[in-house]
Amino acid sequence: MPKEQAVLDVEDVSIAYESSQGSVKAVTDVFLKLMPGGILGLVGESGSGKSTLASGIMHLLKGSAHLVSGHIRVNGQDVYAMDPKLLRKFRWDRMSMVFQSAMTVLNPVMTIEEQMADIFLAHRPRMSKGEIQDRSRSLLNMVHIADKHAKSYPHELSGGMKQRIVIAMALALEPDLVIMDEPTTALDVVVQRSILDQIKALQKERRFSVLFISHDFSLVAEIASTVAVMYAGKIVEVSESQGLTQNDLHHHPYTVGLMRAIPRLTHEDVEIEGIAGNPPNLVELPSGCAYHPRCPLATTICENISPELQAVQRRLIACHYFDPKMRGEFSHVF
Amino acid sequence: MSSKAIEKISPLNQPLVEVKDLVMRFPLHKDWIRAVDKVSFHIDRGEVLSLVGESGSGKTTIGRLLLRILEPYRGTMSVANHDITHIRGKNLVSYRRMAQMIFQDPFASLNPVKTVESHLLFPVKKHRGGHIQQINAVVDELLTRVGLSPQETRRKYPHELSGGQRQRLAIARALAVEPAFLVADEPISMLDVSIRAGVLKLMNELKREFQLSFLYITHDLASARYFGDRIMVLYAGKVMESAMSRELVRNPWHPYTKLLLAATPGGYHVESLPEKVNEPPDLSESRRGCPFAPRCLYSTRECFDNMPETQEISPGHFIACYHPQIPSES
Repeated sequence: MPKEQAVLDVEDVSIAYESSQGSVKAVTDVFLKLMPGGILGLVGESGSGKSTLASGIMHLLKGSAHLVSGHIRVNGQDVYAMDPKLLRKFRWDRMSMVFQSAMTVLNPVMTIEEQMADIFLAHRPRMSKGEIQDRSRSLLNMVHIADKHAKSYPHELSGGMKQRIVIAMALALEPDLVIMDEPTTALDVVVQRSILDQIKALQKERRFSVLFISHDFSLVAEIASTVAVMYAGKIVEVSESQGLTQNDLHHHPYTVGLMRAIPRLTHEDVEIEGIAGNPPNLVELPSGCAYHPRCPLATTICENISPELQAVQRRLIACHYFDPKMRGEFSHVF
Repeated sequence: MSSKAIEKISPLNQPLVEVKDLVMRFPLHKDWIRAVDKVSFHIDRGEVLSLVGESGSGKTTIGRLLLRILEPYRGTMSVANHDITHIRGKNLVSYRRMAQMIFQDPFASLNPVKTVESHLLFPVKKHRGGHIQQINAVVDELLTRVGLSPQETRRKYPHELSGGQRQRLAIARALAVEPAFLVADEPISMLDVSIRAGVLKLMNELKREFQLSFLYITHDLASARYFGDRIMVLYAGKVMESAMSRELVRNPWHPYTKLLLAATPGGYHVESLPEKVNEPPDLSESRRGCPFAPRCLYSTRECFDNMPETQEISPGHFIACYHPQIPSES
């Protein structure tokens, strides 16, 4: 039996922007793998490179952003080696994306029905008008939107409904990979929860794979089976989401910092602790480990050498503190 | 009036802010919508009241009313025993020395062509006066108090500051007039996760140090609980439930509070959301009954016909519901 192929395989990818101050790396040496039916969470603050990575996977990098090195394969096919015509067909058919602001994604002067029909007209030219209508309606029903809204314009719908429609559109051609970039950030908690529940139910039923991007740690831990934490363009930790919100020391110091930074509803000890300093400026990244100026464990080695991801128990962590060979360097904490 | 004058009028743990039957309406399509509907509450001196609700629930409107950026349609508001409901002119200016606001978006609430120090020099000069050396000393003190280094930041422009630093400056500006009461409207929701805690902790320290009263407006129950002494839950302009923070999160009686808690990430997870339909509430003036009734699992005829009166279900714990649900957590 052949080994199961990854739906998404990000191999040593770096993405840079050109600026007046030279080339700025927004994503550096990232490896990610997503198997069929999996949900991979990607957590990071603004400017950590998570959205750039998402656009990179879709081959939708804008402006001066470009892939510097590495390979991105979806269903085994290299997205950057594909003929542009084929890529246009491939995109949305096999991989699709849900953007953060549904309000700006939908065209304000077209009805929902017309916008959904666009997908089929472009990708399924043989479908008849009647088939397209039926399929659009059943997609809307799938996300619990009544038929009568098919003829609505986006401004007539609530934010939650628009976001549901955008999700339905992403699933229209039954892709294998759906990238969701902060799909619920602009929504109220109750609407957010109901959309997350729907994503989970649909994912269970149709077995597509999801790359779920968010800045909200507890949200990602709830929906994803595996969580990758990104800081200054690098993956600093990959961990199973189970038990992730429990505070323990076998995490990257940045992950620990993030967990301590948010007040939690159910925790009795409500003392919170912010991370010192500010998120890094990508133009002038700190030397060595980019997190070292804010890290409570940092030592000389962290200022000089950037750590690689390595297995620590059942996690991958990029931190010298967890490297047995570096134990001597951390005598001040042990 | 400065906060020192207030100290005499309003001792600690006595109501500083009192709001009664506040109503605000806005015109919409030749009709009116009720953004705030008969809301009453008080905030003690040195107390933080968290106002929690979805977008459109009227929480920001209440904040703006209290600072008299808006004028209420009905009801009364008083701060330190002064009626501020309809004050104008000089009285309004002097009221602003007592009450200040921290806005949600520190990118929009600061003037991009003014330096950090000029954001503070003006209010300090106007409010406290004195020699330029004295004024400068106060500016340095304010910056230091909010965790900004005067040497490094005084001559910078807002675009040279990070989001967290901007919000700290906005807080310093609010403190410049020595207020007794602050309205903080989602002050951390636009900030990066890793620096939210710092700003929350700063507000907590300021509250203790200056016995400030806060109206903390947020959609996030977890931070409402962390910062607020009490939480008031708002839906469609009406108060559904209010109690001490810990009590409200652990023993919610109102079906809407239970729904909010179930939906909050990292909370008590449930299989399905306790609601009938997910639709926005009716805000029209002509509506009747409880605005949550169409979504509520327990609603009856009565709920659609009349708005329930507020009742005290246990000491300090108020709800407005005909069918209070026994808290499952005990």
